[in-house]
Amino acid sequence: MARYLRLIALWAAPLLFVGVLFYWPLTKILGLGLSAGVSGTVLDGNTIDSLWFTVWQAAISTFVCILLGIPGAYVLYRRRFRGRNALRVLITLPLVLPTIVTAIAFVAFRNWNELYSAIGMEHLAGSPVFWIIVAHVFINYSLAVRSIGGVWASLDPELEEAAELAGAGRLRTLISITIPQLRPAIASAAALTFLFCATSFGVVLVLGGGMVHSLETEIASSALQYLDLGKAAMLAFMQTALTVVALALSTRIGRSAVGLEQIDESHRMPALGKRDWASIAITAPVVLILIATPLVTLMLRAFETPTGFGLDNFSLLLTRGERDLLNLTVLEAAGNSLRNVAISTSLALLVGGAVSFLLSRDIRNRGHVIATWLLDLAFLLPLGVSSVVLAFGYLITFNAEPFALRASWLSVPLIQALMATPLVIRLLYPALQSISPEQREAAATAGATAGQTWWLIELGIIRHVVVTAIGYAAIASIGEYGAASMLAFGDQATLPTVLFQLISRPGATNFGMAMAIAAILVVLTYAVIALVAVRRRRPLTASAQ
Amino acid sequence: MRKLYIPKKAYTRLAAIAMASATLIGATGCSSSSPAETTTPLQELTVVSHDSFVISDSQLAEFKEQTGITVTLVKAGDAGALTNKLVLTKDSPLGDVFFGLDNTFLGLAESNGVVDGEAVAIDFGDVCMNYDKAWFAAKGLVAPTSIDQLTEPAYKNLTVLENPSTSSPGLAFLAATVGKYGEDGWRNYWTLLKANGVKVAAGWEEAYYIDFSGSSGKGAYPIVLSYSSSPAYEVREDGQSGTASILDGCFRQTEYAGVLAKAKNPAGALAFIDYLKSESFQRSIPESMYVYPIDKSIVLPADWSKWATVATEPYGSDLDVNANRKGWLSAWRAIFG
Repeated sequence: MARYLRLIALWAAPLLFVGVLFYWPLTKILGLGLSAGVSGTVLDGNTIDSLWFTVWQAAISTFVCILLGIPGAYVLYRRRFRGRNALRVLITLPLVLPTIVTAIAFVAFRNWNELYSAIGMEHLAGSPVFWIIVAHVFINYSLAVRSIGGVWASLDPELEEAAELAGAGRLRTLISITIPQLRPAIASAAALTFLFCATSFGVVLVLGGGMVHSLETEIASSALQYLDLGKAAMLAFMQTALTVVALALSTRIGRSAVGLEQIDESHRMPALGKRDWASIAITAPVVLILIATPLVTLMLRAFETPTGFGLDNFSLLLTRGERDLLNLTVLEAAGNSLRNVAISTSLALLVGGAVSFLLSRDIRNRGHVIATWLLDLAFLLPLGVSSVVLAFGYLITFNAEPFALRASWLSVPLIQALMATPLVIRLLYPALQSISPEQREAAATAGATAGQTWWLIELGIIRHVVVTAIGYAAIASIGEYGAASMLAFGDQATLPTVLFQLISRPGATNFGMAMAIAAILVVLTYAVIALVAVRRRRPLTASAQ
Repeated sequence: MRKLYIPKKAYTRLAAIAMASATLIGATGCSSSSPAETTTPLQELTVVSHDSFVISDSQLAEFKEQTGITVTLVKAGDAGALTNKLVLTKDSPLGDVFFGLDNTFLGLAESNGVVDGEAVAIDFGDVCMNYDKAWFAAKGLVAPTSIDQLTEPAYKNLTVLENPSTSSPGLAFLAATVGKYGEDGWRNYWTLLKANGVKVAAGWEEAYYIDFSGSSGKGAYPIVLSYSSSPAYEVREDGQSGTASILDGCFRQTEYAGVLAKAKNPAGALAFIDYLKSESFQRSIPESMYVYPIDKSIVLPADWSKWATVATEPYGSDLDVNANRKGWLSAWRAIFG
């Protein structure tokens, strides 16, 4: 009994966090929506169509991400070559770009009309849905690569090598030896990608010209255009159901993980060689064309001025913009962004780390299995519910003095932490699940407490995944626009909100400055993620041996 | 079976997290100023506006000098988001005074009891088609002077405009077509526009910077739905604007300020509205917000009088956008699918 009490005490902090910041405002706004009355038009043809579109485009985007992500994870995490770490960071950058910037960067692709007709793809390239899926892959590719790769890097290569010595081909080894071991990571990456694509708002809106409708865009238009909160609430319930199904599928696929030998991540990977041609042939075009081309296009735009190339856009950024347009300099906005990143990333890592730790403890009976699953779901839902709905929830919930969050700058990093927490859990939890219990038991036999085992052994094994989780939590904050724009005050603007202020006005100066901010956003993100990776490179496991 | 064992260390660490999050949440409660206790309420004023509202620090200082009031600015998204947030929070308003509801949304706010008293007009802007002068010169084609021509074969595949259900200038133009062609004719006009290869973008930013050829985005479409003031910001090296407006078929958006119902500082709100109408603020409107001051006696900047001519016969004042929005948008969606 005492044990259960202690367990409840441990869960209290994370549950309080998600309860106050998510379930309370969500319940209030959904309650308001439902009490406003649900009109009979909720289940009309438009809603069914948008639900179906949401599901199938997210499923295809996810499938493509995973299919391309497995060879990518192999090349970037299982092989050694010069520039590998830089590429790992590079593929992550698209996640930070505001949608309008992604759309501008994609102009390059969309104009290669001759190429598409030459390869018979002109019909596909003319379809907005095709570009929505391409953009989803562009944005989420790194999620698959990094979460699968992080676990793959810690797998002992001996078994694979043995299989190959016994005559199994590469593909055969991959399918029958490696993939079963990676199942929890793959399932988890798939669930995450699916949810990101299913709730994607900006990409569907901008690349679809406002004429492609998903659940999320329908929620936004019922809430923001018609103030039909009843309909918005019903659609938000559908999103919730979708999240439940996605997690159930992912749990099912990820179950019965083959917890095999895992080794210290710092062992030397073999160099990339000729025998890896198949993986390279898939990964090189994805990285060089799909990911690098738009980013380079963007960088070039930042230096483009009406009179040729130069640094004018950047020097303008040191001011408040032409005609004092901005309420603060970009330097100050960058400061706000970095402060938010520091707060939200630490918070997300603390809460997400604690939840992953608790979820991954040994499961002993059926009741426990269900409880674990429900808790997992409770922490995943913030990713699967419309941020428009949540923002409205904040407005009506945190308005009284004891919780006057909506009037505080802290609300922005808090919401960002809430959004980043499920990401951290989805990355850490399956990685912890992949660790064979024998490793922990061995440590326990050797006299280590569970705390020491967690800190010295488990964290060491999942080091790559921890780095990835920190990186994504940081990105979720740096690039976040919704919460910042909905709640940020004049002098609390962040880089993405300043970018948007500039690009929503005509003129070459405003556009140039916006592009320069986009470039700064990319470089800053690169620096933050690279820094995280470097800082974590100390030998965590050394003292355990 | 191994025993479930939770180490003391982890326990204390988690307790620390709990403390930290409790402190964080508590801290926000304290950090937000509660006027009743700390300062005289009348010295503080919260202004809720759309994202495009600009007031400089020196203007805020000037206002404080005149009235002793310190202003806090809250931005609440575009005009549509602002309206809905004000309606949603009317019992516990986000601030004392709003700025930026236009004639397409004001009716909705008023019918929901958001506004205390009369809303006051502060500025206006004309939503008009713009075209790329260099593109038409290079093709030897005469640029259109009326939106009637946009359905003609000569101008096929040349126009990009914003989706009325996702963009406020898009909705404004839809209303302008209802005004120009009447309840009977506007659907037919849009059917012809669609057949003539008009491109629909989700928002102004995409239409102007991705698809329009006359902006820095250098897109493929030489005609775009923008504002009559935009050409003043496309003045090139030679001192000439690269773009011009089609001054027929424009919609006049008038932006209002007003006291919010249940405001804590209604007197301060009125003083702020007076300041928005003062010469000092009205003069800054074109350069800061890219719209025209409501005070006709204000002399416009040089680039504006040259390139940013207002529409001759704009639509807007006579249309009840609020009452018709839903019907127009669903009819539009039926045409564009």
